[in-house]
Amino acid sequence: MYRYPINTLASIVTIYVFFLLTLFGGRAVGGGAFDDSLASIVVGFFLVTASISAYNSLANAFAAEASWGTLEQLYMCRSGFGLVAVFIAVAEVLISVLTAFSVLMAMLLTTDIQLQFNLVSILVTLVLSVSSVIGVGFVFGGAAVVYKRIGNVFNIIQFGFIGLIAAPVESYPALKLLPLTQGSYLLRRIMTEDAHLWTFAPSEVVVLVATGVGYALLGYLVMLRFVRIARNRGVMGHY
Amino acid sequence: MSESRTADEDPIVSVEELTKEYGDGVDSVVAVDGVSFGIDRSSITGLLGHNGAGKTTVIKSMLGLVRPTEGVVRVGEHRVDDDPKRTFEHVSAVLEGARTTYWRLTVRENVHFFSRLAGYDPTEYRARYEELYEAFDLENKVDTTVNELSRGMKQKAGIVAALARQPDVLFLDEPTLGLDVESSLELRRQLTTLVSEEGLTVIVSSHDMEVIEEICNRVIVMSDGEVVADESVDTLIELFDRQNVALSLSGADEPTLSRLRDEFDVVDDSTRDSYDRIEVSVENTAQLHSLLGRLVDADVSVTDIETTEVDFSEVYLELTDDEEWNRTAVSQNNA
Repeated sequence: MYRYPINTLASIVTIYVFFLLTLFGGRAVGGGAFDDSLASIVVGFFLVTASISAYNSLANAFAAEASWGTLEQLYMCRSGFGLVAVFIAVAEVLISVLTAFSVLMAMLLTTDIQLQFNLVSILVTLVLSVSSVIGVGFVFGGAAVVYKRIGNVFNIIQFGFIGLIAAPVESYPALKLLPLTQGSYLLRRIMTEDAHLWTFAPSEVVVLVATGVGYALLGYLVMLRFVRIARNRGVMGHY
Repeated sequence: MSESRTADEDPIVSVEELTKEYGDGVDSVVAVDGVSFGIDRSSITGLLGHNGAGKTTVIKSMLGLVRPTEGVVRVGEHRVDDDPKRTFEHVSAVLEGARTTYWRLTVRENVHFFSRLAGYDPTEYRARYEELYEAFDLENKVDTTVNELSRGMKQKAGIVAALARQPDVLFLDEPTLGLDVESSLELRRQLTTLVSEEGLTVIVSSHDMEVIEEICNRVIVMSDGEVVADESVDTLIELFDRQNVALSLSGADEPTLSRLRDEFDVVDDSTRDSYDRIEVSVENTAQLHSLLGRLVDADVSVTDIETTEVDFSEVYLELTDDEEWNRTAVSQNNA
């Protein structure tokens, strides 16, 4: 990131510009009604940024490593490829969180809204939310190793995240079992209603943890299965 | 022959009845079929064969990157498929040309990364890495990103990064591919020195027969998924104890040349100015005398005679009947 600063900055600027388009477009169309929900929109953008950044990076990571010729090198690790994949995922989550906070600062400077910064609650909720997306990233990353060019499918999934973040979980509680939905709901309440993780009902936190960890673990296992298929087919290094 | 081998005499890599079939049913392809061999410690073994002979599948099976359909591969005492993590402690590879490093990182960063990946703290091996940089002429390039290096330097960076893993066995798949003559020669020299000074075991897969002939103690020739020869380079050449004789002829007509082609192993024939030149592979002196006798009988003058040594490429062709390689070699000679 530091060796190619323009590249890094460009990714943040791109998301911010998209936010500005949404902001000005929304105000032009919705007027005052749009401003009333601006805080939720900013929180949503914050989570979208983190989610898409983490998902994109991880899903593309394996394909990129295969195209560079380094995926096989990573596989030949005495600690096991699974651990390497976990470290890649953790790194992508950290980068995505930093990116999201950068965009959040830019959004707050642009608008005049006030948000609550209960940092511990925000970070834990954000990381667990993004973890559920990491599971999806593992699945598509593993699929890319076997099936190679599936970039168009990657892109469609990203739009799905926007839908999940906006999902009406208060009206349809079952939606909380999907990736991102519970995290989005709790993050909105933390940042706009000054809530804390420990003020929520235990069941709410359990669902957050279960979906975060569960989807991540499931995705990880599917990824390992795809890598096994790639070994069977002898295509791990091909791109 | 010795009845038992000590642990040090056991092959460091053993391949037993390795078979790999890709796909299912009528579309399946048997890439490797019942291949068996052992690799001795501190040796350089060449793996030679045409495109699709199965070399890369064999190498990747030895590295655990491809799951065999049948058979067993062992590195040391570890079965590769059952115990890959222990296997990876002993092996390292530079596969398919230069792209086994991160081009956006410097040489040093790559070395440190792959060292850590193998579980070694690079700060403890600083002196060792400096030796490697020097051995491969990279000492002035260690802080240059791999992307900025020449093709040959990229390849060397890949080899140094592979050696940073402290392997017992190094696999090189087409290490001289795309290199110019000078870089190829230099790399061969460096590899030979590395093996002789450090006792490393190296397995080289290559189309470049000069590389195989020059640096390998032993060559395993593969064709269509099977091993067709497994001998030392010198032994293979001795098996085809031949000599090539190049004759410049005057007064040879086409029927005469045609009869010579039928009776003898004519390797090459051409017409330059008013002279015909034929190159014939003869097994012994008697056959050479017979050839000269035919020419005398046909009233053909021999204006020049020259003997040439059999080279390894001819041995390879004899073993594999590699028509594709032959067409490529002929077109290059005529260019």
